[in-house]
Amino acid sequence: MTKAIDDYLEKLKAALSGADPATIQDALSDAEEHLTTALEQALEREPGAVAGVEAAKIIETYGAPEEVAAAYKEMETMTPVTLSLSDPAVVRPRQHRFFGVLGDIHTYAALLYMLLSLATGIFYFTWAVTGLSLSAGLMLLVIGIPFMTAFLLSARGIALIEGRIIEGVLGERMPRRPVFFRRDLGWWGGVKALFADRTTWSAIAYMILQLPLGIIYFTITTTLIAVSLGLIAEPILTYFFDQPLIQTTYHSYYMPGWAMPVSVAGGFLLLVVTLHVARGIGRLHARYAKRLLVKTEK
Amino acid sequence: MNVTPTEDKKFLKELSAGTSALVLLGVVGSAPEPMYGYQIAKLIETGGEDVPMMKQGALYPVLRSLEKTGLLESTVEPSVTGPPRRYYRITEKGRAALGRWSELWNRTKSIVDSVLKGKRHDQSDR
Repeated sequence: MTKAIDDYLEKLKAALSGADPATIQDALSDAEEHLTTALEQALEREPGAVAGVEAAKIIETYGAPEEVAAAYKEMETMTPVTLSLSDPAVVRPRQHRFFGVLGDIHTYAALLYMLLSLATGIFYFTWAVTGLSLSAGLMLLVIGIPFMTAFLLSARGIALIEGRIIEGVLGERMPRRPVFFRRDLGWWGGVKALFADRTTWSAIAYMILQLPLGIIYFTITTTLIAVSLGLIAEPILTYFFDQPLIQTTYHSYYMPGWAMPVSVAGGFLLLVVTLHVARGIGRLHARYAKRLLVKTEK
Repeated sequence: MNVTPTEDKKFLKELSAGTSALVLLGVVGSAPEPMYGYQIAKLIETGGEDVPMMKQGALYPVLRSLEKTGLLESTVEPSVTGPPRRYYRITEKGRAALGRWSELWNRTKSIVDSVLKGKRHDQSDR
């Protein structure tokens, strides 16, 4: 996107500091939506126009960051909480909260993410370890620095893609554009900034850590789902397929008849617990990913 | 005493603070299909070119607050280019409010008009 719009969003964010995080996010996404749409349509009308000039005009009619920020802050104080639809003060009964997870789409998405993370983890880990060791080895030669630069850039690219996956699947707001490098630094300055940026290295750390995390997530998910499905299916396995619960060389142990309902109920309960675990891990992982993949201004 | 542009600006701001919700509710309410922010901004802009009723950026928080109070509802849809767009449509509650507010607006307008034309004085003279 255009630099002018990015700059504007930064200024708006600064002007909004101290407001509710959700308000800041709303304001930024509203502004981003409006400015990019307006710019797009302006360039469509006049193909010869310079994007920078058009963007400046559009931003002028959108309003100064301070003005827009003030409008959002005013809204925050004016909307009475009692009128808002999602009233946080309403406490739902405990059983609703417990089983409500079944109807929550984010839970299933989190489950999907946990299964997927093994595959992405293997890829990220391989990429990061290969890139790091090749960079170290090639440092002795002329191509060492260019190779490492390319590798670090690829890590930033993967961080952006992983962020898009996390926003799409886990719902945590992540950056939508690559991190902006100041153009006035020149290419050598850009390379130095890339090496000096904490986010580059934390993105590589994320890539390496994604393999063990992916293994843990995958194992937890598959184990819990398999155990709960097994418990639910126990009566069918026993009475229709004559499968014992435990089988040794000489003995077969069957689950007693009275325990069957307990087993089925327990299986369903464990399935709901699994969904809670998935949702919880999804939230924690999204927060952790944000810490490592997103540049935070001090 | 001369009126400075800042005083004009202040007056305009206070004026639009009260009317913007009605205008936005009216625009979305009379639209045949859900609209997104930029469309709404464009529609209002063509109303009066030289004096913008409000900065376009100030329109979005009003839309958000109308949604929060249940007068509008919105859905987010991905767009081919750029970030996803938020489409707004009016709710039943919003339509009812629009009816009441239009009436209040008409009453206010006729009072203001009659004062500015000096009719009130004619009436009080009698």
